Amino acid sequence: MSRDTLSRTAPDTARRPDTPGRRRRVSRTEARNARAAAGFVLPFLALFGLCFVAPIVYAVQQSLHRTERTGPLGLGGREHEAFAGLTNYAHALADDRFLAGFGRVLLFGAVQIPLMIALATALALLLESASARGVPFFRSAFFLPYGVPGVIASILWGFLYVPGISPLVKIADAVGWDVDFLSRGTVLWSIANIVTWQFTGYNMLVLIAQLKSVPGELYEAARIDGASAWQVARHVKLPLIRPALVLTTVFSIIGTLQLFAEPMVLRPLASSIDSGFTPNLHAYSEAFVGNNPHVAAAEAVLLALVACVLSFGFLRLVGGRAKERRR
Amino acid sequence: MTRNPVPHLPRMPRRTVLGGAAALAAGFALAGCSDGGDGDADAPRERKKGQKITLTFWSWVPGIDKPVDLWNRKNPDVQVKVEKVSAVNGEQYAKMHAAIKAGNPPDLGQIEFPIIPSFLLDNGLLDLAPLGAARHKGKFFGWQWQQSVFGKGIYAIPQASGPMGLFVRQDLFDKWGLKAPGTWDEYEAAAKVIRKKGAWIETFAPTNGNRFSGLAWQAGAKWYASHGDTWLVHIDDEPTRRVADYWESLVKQKLVKTIPDRQNAWYKDLQTGDITAWVGASWGDALLVGNAPGTKGKWRAAPLPQWKAGGQVFANWGGSTTAVFAKASYPKDALDFAVWLNTDPASIALLIDGGYGFPSAKKGYATDALDVDKPFFGGQSYSKVFADASAHVDTSWRWGPGVDTLYQRLGDAFTDALADGSSFRSALAKVQRQTLSDLQGKGLKVESGG
Repeated sequence: MSRDTLSRTAPDTARRPDTPGRRRRVSRTEARNARAAAGFVLPFLALFGLCFVAPIVYAVQQSLHRTERTGPLGLGGREHEAFAGLTNYAHALADDRFLAGFGRVLLFGAVQIPLMIALATALALLLESASARGVPFFRSAFFLPYGVPGVIASILWGFLYVPGISPLVKIADAVGWDVDFLSRGTVLWSIANIVTWQFTGYNMLVLIAQLKSVPGELYEAARIDGASAWQVARHVKLPLIRPALVLTTVFSIIGTLQLFAEPMVLRPLASSIDSGFTPNLHAYSEAFVGNNPHVAAAEAVLLALVACVLSFGFLRLVGGRAKERRR
Repeated sequence: MTRNPVPHLPRMPRRTVLGGAAALAAGFALAGCSDGGDGDADAPRERKKGQKITLTFWSWVPGIDKPVDLWNRKNPDVQVKVEKVSAVNGEQYAKMHAAIKAGNPPDLGQIEFPIIPSFLLDNGLLDLAPLGAARHKGKFFGWQWQQSVFGKGIYAIPQASGPMGLFVRQDLFDKWGLKAPGTWDEYEAAAKVIRKKGAWIETFAPTNGNRFSGLAWQAGAKWYASHGDTWLVHIDDEPTRRVADYWESLVKQKLVKTIPDRQNAWYKDLQTGDITAWVGASWGDALLVGNAPGTKGKWRAAPLPQWKAGGQVFANWGGSTTAVFAKASYPKDALDFAVWLNTDPASIALLIDGGYGFPSAKKGYATDALDVDKPFFGGQSYSKVFADASAHVDTSWRWGPGVDTLYQRLGDAFTDALADGSSFRSALAKVQRQTLSDLQGKGLKVESGG
């Protein structure tokens, strides 16, 4: 808001450099505006600083330190924090399990994200197509799983996965199909199923919102030009919801890297989920099982960096393509 | 699932027992939760006569509030306030470590034997020796007292232990002409017979490092020792390898399941008789009663199978202490409470009712008072089995720092071994290497033992 005012007044003063009285009045307005702006921004900045910047600074600071212990056997002596440079990072990167966790979530993302986004797009297009029936009902029904907290969802699905309790396993057994949802090879995809179940509806809703903002004339024009429903979807709707697709994909990339609640809840049920199943779980184990907050902080920072690189990398990739197309 | 009883916490809910819902990353528990009554005092103080104080006590033991209420009635000047902490997935320790780091821990806390050294690394626990704690030594079983003694320091008052034993489905064993195995060889033979009948003897839960350490303990392993100011770690010593080989062989012969124990699938197997025995501990009675009520009267407790026929070597799984935190405002009163809680007959009676485990105190109760549910075990005085075991626990076993991490390492390594078919011995070697590096990472001097 303040920038608007300023940009409007700036050329004004430039045009009349010879009237000092006016300039003074304008700069007074500027100052008042700036003060008002600061007043409006301050609450946000304070919370942002307290809840966002400060923890990050603290995490980075922790990641660069280590605990040193003195005294026989390290017991009963003094402990103090000492600067450790990048040793915590080196320790984290030398940990096979931590790296394996990254590999796992990348594989997970490469398979699950396209699948989920495609499913969400298909559902959105179906619900927004002219011939759709019962739209409000299906929209809520598809969105509903998002309202279930991830932990609860994992517990619910856990019951459907555990052999001996799960009706799914029982049915599969009855038809002679030997399934184990929690084995080493399948558990990642069992988790992918939970995540897809949870977030497809949410992504669908974001896409629907964007579809709703498409002006009706475009569809009319397409229809007059003789486009079939399929062609409208393919050549009108899809290109127009591109920004929403990019957004949901970026959110999904970040969400995938931060995968935590599902493996954490399923872990006691499945021997195949180890303490470093995902990078986040590994950092949690370091911090709260091993009481190594410094290494955990380094792992958290690494995780954030990877999320940044992947998100911005993806944005660049699609941004670059959009530019090419415009040319 | 709804027909299954909600998995009850065992008498001494171990942090590995997971109800599921509570897994909610509560490790992020905020540190500043206790204002500790007379909070601000960092320096320990002597209570003046007639001065009223309040001590805070973090615990998860069911029914612990009853003896505390009794204490509060008897000691109007020294009130103890229990704050329940979650014992799921080690959350209580995460919370305690965080509170120590933040500088506002409670006065007293419930801490399991293996975890005490981890808190000593934090300088989290008060050395009770200068307060004259040594004079209480004779009231407790020697080996349990020793669990909290490091160097000249005494860091906690033992509360309860978990001597190990074998639970068997006597009805099925009888039907198949089996006796409760007295040795591990007989156990394997029984496993083969049971497998032929379509059931399983047990599960080897790869993630249960806790029980595995108990089995290694029985076999004579010595995982931790110290030499001067250096820790000696020997996770892959000969006895541990023997235990690992034994269970690997059972797994490879497909004589045991490999599902996690004390989880829904396992409870289900107990209910249906798919699993017919359990190498457990004294607190396991409540677990069976709560989770397989339909099998009432069919279980019996037997001594842990031995490596040598006629042997009398037992081990411990679980057990905890009442510790005083280093920042306790009134350490003397805290110690008095901790000793009273774990030795006073009235307190012990209330703790037994609540189901807290096998008392660390030598006196103040009768063994059959521990038989909380005799009919479930066909009228057997089953606590006698565990009392005998308790008297023969190998007392030279010591815990070292970072046991939480060690359990996790063991769990991960056995999980890997089951997945790729590699040997349990190589898993132990891996854990040994990792543990050395973990402890070095904590700034400790450490060497490979043996």
